[in-house]
Amino acid sequence: MSLSIALTKGRLEKNTVALLEQCGYGIESLKDKGRALVFQDTKKDIRYFLVKSNDCITYVVHGVADLGIVGKDTILENSQDYYEMLDLECGKCKFIVASLPENDLFHKVGHIKIGTKYPSVAKDYFLKRNMDVEIIKIDGSVELAPILGLCDGIVDIMETGTTLKENGLVVLDTVHEISARVIVNTAAYKLKREEIMNVLQDLQRMVNQDVKKDR
Amino acid sequence: MKKIYLPSGMRDNILSEAKTKKELQDCFEKVFESYGYSKIYTPSIEFFSTYQNAFTNLNSNSMYKFFDQDGNILSLRMDMTVPIARVCATKFKDYQIPLRFYYSCNVFKVRESFAGKRNEVTDCGVELIGLDKKNDVEVLMCAFDAMKTLNVKTYAIECGDSGLFKKACNLLNMEDETIEKLADLIDRKSMVDLKIFLDTLNLEPHQKRFMLELPLLNGDISILSKAKKLCFDESLKEKIEELEGIYTLLSKLNYHRHLRFDLGKIAHLDYYTGLIFEGFIEGVGVSVLSGGRYDKLLSKFGMDVPACGFSIKIDYLLDVIKHSSKKSCKLFYPQDKEVEALLMAANLRKEKNVELIPWQKENIWIKEDETDVIIDSVDERSS
Repeated sequence: MSLSIALTKGRLEKNTVALLEQCGYGIESLKDKGRALVFQDTKKDIRYFLVKSNDCITYVVHGVADLGIVGKDTILENSQDYYEMLDLECGKCKFIVASLPENDLFHKVGHIKIGTKYPSVAKDYFLKRNMDVEIIKIDGSVELAPILGLCDGIVDIMETGTTLKENGLVVLDTVHEISARVIVNTAAYKLKREEIMNVLQDLQRMVNQDVKKDR
Repeated sequence: MKKIYLPSGMRDNILSEAKTKKELQDCFEKVFESYGYSKIYTPSIEFFSTYQNAFTNLNSNSMYKFFDQDGNILSLRMDMTVPIARVCATKFKDYQIPLRFYYSCNVFKVRESFAGKRNEVTDCGVELIGLDKKNDVEVLMCAFDAMKTLNVKTYAIECGDSGLFKKACNLLNMEDETIEKLADLIDRKSMVDLKIFLDTLNLEPHQKRFMLELPLLNGDISILSKAKKLCFDESLKEKIEELEGIYTLLSKLNYHRHLRFDLGKIAHLDYYTGLIFEGFIEGVGVSVLSGGRYDKLLSKFGMDVPACGFSIKIDYLLDVIKHSSKKSCKLFYPQDKEVEALLMAANLRKEKNVELIPWQKENIWIKEDETDVIIDSVDERSS
C-alpha cells in the first residue's frame, strides 16, 4: 500500500530531505521543488508533502498523512493522538527559560508574567515547578517582550543563543531538548504496518550511522 | 448577532451522508438483533455524578455540563456503556442474566476547537451483561460480523489485554504516578521518551526490555509467542495465553483473517478489566470500533456481574462508505395529469423511490436519479 509522509517546511526540511536521500529514496523532486507542494517518490510508492510544523501534526492525526516528520517543540505544544516512534537526532535545539540578568523570575516574590510562542509548554513547565505564572502569548521576536517590560521572562527555542545574548538576556534553565521526530497515524500503523516499519527501519539505520560518524 | 452557524464540533448530516448513515445503522442493528440483543434507549442527559461514580479518572473537561433547577450538575452522556450499566443495576437487578442490549444513540464529548473533530457522534453498539470472559469470543464474532457488512477489503480488529500492563506494574511495585506516566508513553508508542523514562527507573534488564518492547508487540498471531518469551512472570504469560485461546477459537470459526493483536494497548477508560479491542478500516485515521470487558463497572452501581461490549462510531465511516440504497427517480408532471402521474408513481414505487415534482410542461417525464443534486430539478422546472 502506498504511504504519505508529511514533512515540515523550513528549519527541518534540509535535514530530513538529506536523510531520506541517504536512505536511497527517490526524492529528486523534493530537492528541486519549485512551487509544487506534493511530490512523488521516484523509486518507492511514497508521496511527500511539505507543510508547516503544526499542520504536520494535524495531517497525521486525521490520517491524511501516514507519517510525519516534525520537531519535538511542536509535539510538546500539541500533544494529540499519534505515535511518536523515532528520534532523528537532527535539527537539535532546546526550549529554555530566559530573562534579563537583573530579573531572576525564580526568586521573584509577586506576580510573574511569561511571554512565549508556546503557551502549553510554558504552562506545563511552571506547573511542574509548582509556580503560578501568567502566560502571555507572543507570536514573534519573543526576546523583545522582557526588554520592553511586557513580561518577566520568556520560554522560547534556542539554537545557538546568539539572539538572546545580543538582546542581553540570560538563560535560567533548560525546559526540554528538541530534535526532529517521526510521528505515525495510529490507524495507519495498524493497517500499513509493514510499509511503515520499513521506512522507520531505514531512517533508524541512517540515524545510527550519523551518530557513529559524529563520535 | 444571528446564529447561523453551528457550535464547535457539531455537524448536520444531509443528503447522501444522511442516507449512508441510516443504512449503516440499519445494517449494524440487523447484525446485533441476529445475536439476540434488544434495543434500548436511555436519556441524553445523566447526572454528572453517575459518570463520576463509574470512572475514577474521569476527565470532566471533556463532558458537556450544566445545572438543573436544584443546582445538581447534569451532563450530556459521553457513552452508552455507563447509562446501560445504570439501567441494568436499577431495573434488572433480579432479572435473569445474561442481558443483551444494543443501541444507536448520539453521544457527546467536548474536544478541542478548530481541529476538525466531532463533539457529537452516533454510537452503535452492544452490551452483553452477566457473562464472563469465557464468552469474549461471541462478542468479538459479533464485532467481526458488523465490520463485514461494510464490504471493505482492508480492515482489522486488534485485540489486547488491559490487564497485562496493569499486572506488570503491580509485579514491579510501581507507584501510581509512575504507572500513569508509563501508560501514557506506551500508549502513544513514544519510543524515545519511553527509553529515557525507563532508564530512570530501577528495573532489572529483562523487566525493562518487556516494558520497552510492549508498544511494538503488535501484528498477527506470531507476536504472541514472541511476547511470551519477553514476559518476566508466569502471570503475564497467562494473559497472553488467554489471547491465544481467543485466536484458536476464532480460527476454528474461520473468523481469524482480520484479527490482529496489540499488547501495547492501554485502556483509556479505567473500567476495562480484560480483553480490549479496536477496529480499523482503510481510509479512516482513527479507530472506528472499540470495546472490551468491564467486569467491575456494574458493581459500582450495585449489581456485581461481569460484562463485555463494543460500539461503532458511525460518523467516522461516512467519508469512506458510500450508500447503496435502492434506485430512485423523479417524476415530473403537469397539474392536469395529476391522477395519471400519481398512479404511475404508485406503480414505480414497487421497485424504486419516486419523488413527484409538478412542472409547467404538458407531458409526464421520468428522470432516473443517480445523484443527490437537488438544484437541477429546480432548473428543469423553470425551463
